[in-house]
Amino acid sequence: MNNGQANSFVLADPEKCIGCKACEVACFAVHNRENGVGAAAGTVSVPVIPRLYVIRTDSFMMPVQCRHCENAPCAEACPVSAIRQKDGAIQVDEARCIGCKSCAIACPFGAISLFRAYSGGSEYKNRHLKKRQDTTLERKTRIIAYKCDLCRGATPPEEREESGDKSGDESGERTPWCVSVCPEEALTLMTPVKEMNARLAAVRRL
Amino acid sequence: MVDKILTVCPYCGSGCNLNLIVEEGKVVGAEPANGRTNEGTLCLKGHYGWDFLNDPKILTARLRQPMIRKEGELREASWEEAIRYTADRLLAIKEKYGPDAIMGTGSARGPGNEANYVMQKFMRAAVGTNNIDHCARVCHGPSVAGLSYSLGDGAMSNSIPEIEDADLLLIFGYNAPVTHPIVAGRIVKAKQKGATIIVCDPRKTESARLADTWLPLKGGTNMALVNAFGHVLIEEQLYDKDFVAKHVEGLSEYIENVRSYTPENAEGITGVKAADIRKAMRQYAGSKKAMILYGMGVCQFSQAVDVVKGLASIALLTGNFGRPSVGIGPVRGQNNVQGSCDMGALPNVYPGYQPVTDAKARAKFEKAWGVKLPDKTGYHLTEIPHLVLKEDKVKAYYIFGEDPVQSDPNAAEVRETLDKMEFVVVQDIFMNKTALHADVILPATSWGEHDGVYSSADRGFQRIRKAVEPPKGTKPDWQIICEVATAMGYPMSYKSTEEIWDEMRGLCPKFAGASYKKMEEQGSVQWPCLTEDHPGTPYLYEGNRFSTPNGKGRLFACEWRAPLEQPDRDYPLTLSTVREVGHYSVRTMTGNCRALSQLSDEPGFIQISPEDARQYGIEDGHLLKVISRRGKITARAQVSERVKAGATYMTYHFWIGACNELTVDVLDPISKTPEFKYCAIRLERIHDQQQAELQIREQYESLRQQMLAGAGAHE
Repeated sequence: MNNGQANSFVLADPEKCIGCKACEVACFAVHNRENGVGAAAGTVSVPVIPRLYVIRTDSFMMPVQCRHCENAPCAEACPVSAIRQKDGAIQVDEARCIGCKSCAIACPFGAISLFRAYSGGSEYKNRHLKKRQDTTLERKTRIIAYKCDLCRGATPPEEREESGDKSGDESGERTPWCVSVCPEEALTLMTPVKEMNARLAAVRRL
Repeated sequence: MVDKILTVCPYCGSGCNLNLIVEEGKVVGAEPANGRTNEGTLCLKGHYGWDFLNDPKILTARLRQPMIRKEGELREASWEEAIRYTADRLLAIKEKYGPDAIMGTGSARGPGNEANYVMQKFMRAAVGTNNIDHCARVCHGPSVAGLSYSLGDGAMSNSIPEIEDADLLLIFGYNAPVTHPIVAGRIVKAKQKGATIIVCDPRKTESARLADTWLPLKGGTNMALVNAFGHVLIEEQLYDKDFVAKHVEGLSEYIENVRSYTPENAEGITGVKAADIRKAMRQYAGSKKAMILYGMGVCQFSQAVDVVKGLASIALLTGNFGRPSVGIGPVRGQNNVQGSCDMGALPNVYPGYQPVTDAKARAKFEKAWGVKLPDKTGYHLTEIPHLVLKEDKVKAYYIFGEDPVQSDPNAAEVRETLDKMEFVVVQDIFMNKTALHADVILPATSWGEHDGVYSSADRGFQRIRKAVEPPKGTKPDWQIICEVATAMGYPMSYKSTEEIWDEMRGLCPKFAGASYKKMEEQGSVQWPCLTEDHPGTPYLYEGNRFSTPNGKGRLFACEWRAPLEQPDRDYPLTLSTVREVGHYSVRTMTGNCRALSQLSDEPGFIQISPEDARQYGIEDGHLLKVISRRGKITARAQVSERVKAGATYMTYHFWIGACNELTVDVLDPISKTPEFKYCAIRLERIHDQQQAELQIREQYESLRQQMLAGAGAHE
């Protein structure tokens, strides 16, 4: 997919973002098909956990998400090698993740958060680790790192191809769902090689 | 088998088109369609706001069976029984107290224009009163009154798509990114195309953040700022003398009225720097295509109508009418609040804005409906508490698709009003707080389950379509009302919504050419649309001819009045109600969408400044008590630098943190719109946060159980 080129990433333009959170719900929806989330998020029975977060400050508002750093500090910090580069994206192997939070601390963008894991529509429990619940012991729910995977692990709704308005770029890289769904077109999939070519072309025109 | 049904989003007045995706008779998704206003985009409510159709019973449950209160309890009844009972009780009250003892509402939400037409016809022809009003009264009522006075039409003079081609946008008390994300897209585009954006708002809203110039006026000082705008235009000779001479009246009186509002004087009242006021007006007057957009920050004050007229005067003075991308836009909040006004769910006008006091109009409707009609203006919705509790004049209330206990000010008083009435009918899709006080509940079909027409904020008629079968036991709103009318001895019956629509447009010259066929072909038809071969009107007042009696625009200015309830030692902070992007109105719909309810849930937030938070020892995320002279609730603190010290903001969607328990029922003298944007409160810190969190959860669960039981639903 990326032929040894730099990783793509999604970048938001705070001049356009109005903070409507359509990206957050869209992100959740396409990543939770196996949790019973339908074509959109309506049928959800698990909490809404997006992999990007709309940040609101005094002066701006925009979603923040993983930059897919080439020398990913999160992967460097991960003691169990659960974070790897795959298909042109830095991805978390959720089954391998131990919930140690090292990646969240290492990430300079604050793009990783830890939440409960879900599978098949219910909480995904640890095999042996138990916790005391009132008087009984019960298996503790797994806590894992969530972050943007450029929709590599997502199942987009089938309708998408038919509507066909916001398809992937010429390199064949699929447009992440947050980018497609943003009503203000505030999100862009930045593909470094394309950016570089565009800039070179601009320089040649001078 | 996957079906796609093209319809219009049921949230906000943007009028976005979308396809509902239906699998095996259930809605499973939505995708944007290429509508006139949304052009293939949707906000999160459009994308994910359909889930309430699947009735997940998160906040409340769908009504599926008529109910009658017997021995104090709501009990399931047959349709026949419920219709008969409703008709008999209404007839008895009419007999005993006269028709004006009965009040009815229209519904600005899911039912659509046809149901509103039928409802106002029912009230006027079957009951015999003009006591019909709806929630435009608590939102853009002042726009209808003010713009009708100034320009002749109580609606946006411009179109939503035109926004992006304006050179300058003057945005007053309007936070489009939260209320109309898709309209906000046009504002963002305008900015990208080089437009200057000026925002007047006390809070640093998303609109203010997008602005080139933000005029942070003190809450409740709108009229002083608008007068100062006028003062600058006159004093600096920035106004269009030729346009004013030809098309506008009232200049000399206007000049007199704004004379004392120098920017320096206004600075003392509003806190906005005099130089900024001057600069804003120089930019506004110097721009070729300047457009005003405004919202609830103008309308929800006791001096709302004056400010609407004042803003229209600014546009009149600068000749910003009769062309694309200029004019004045009150962007309507609820999806069909424009439509409910269009259909005459108002106490002073028949459908098509034809006054009930106009003998000629009355004669036309009397002939069409075959009955003598009352000639005096009916009661306003917001006057009902007073008319019931103080004057004992209204005995029955037919509430159709509204939840006044949640949406109207001073909730305790609203409840007392409902309980004092002899007979209350609630016709709705969900069990709600108002229905707890009903004597009869009539369950209706929802958006997605019936056909009809909505009017978008920019006067655009668009078809809504049935996508799924309604729950058994429900009926379309217009059909229920027809059955009650028939049982009362005024037979009404229609075969389809199109038949109702055709009767309506036969009586309304402004809408006469907007047939179902044309909507099918064009997608959207903007009124006025006078004839079958007319495509509709994107912007009003072409040729600078206004719809006022003499065709001229009318200038207006008057003295600024401070809001009524000022902060004092006991209640030192002000409260303004606002909205939140992921929720809609009284939250029965979005609160029952799994994804939306999770993004933001009970008890709701109160925004406070860091200074006030420090003073009260409140941290971001803490629960706290909010208290006014009328009530006391719990909410969660959201400490924000965007808020000025002394001011607080709460969204009105939440049921536990219900800000309308606190708000004051002071009304604008003309439009009778409440002052939701200003009342005095105090905050109390809660020391045991854990206990408070627990209490909120218990309160939520008990409220939910009450709703489920009320709807006759069992988990």
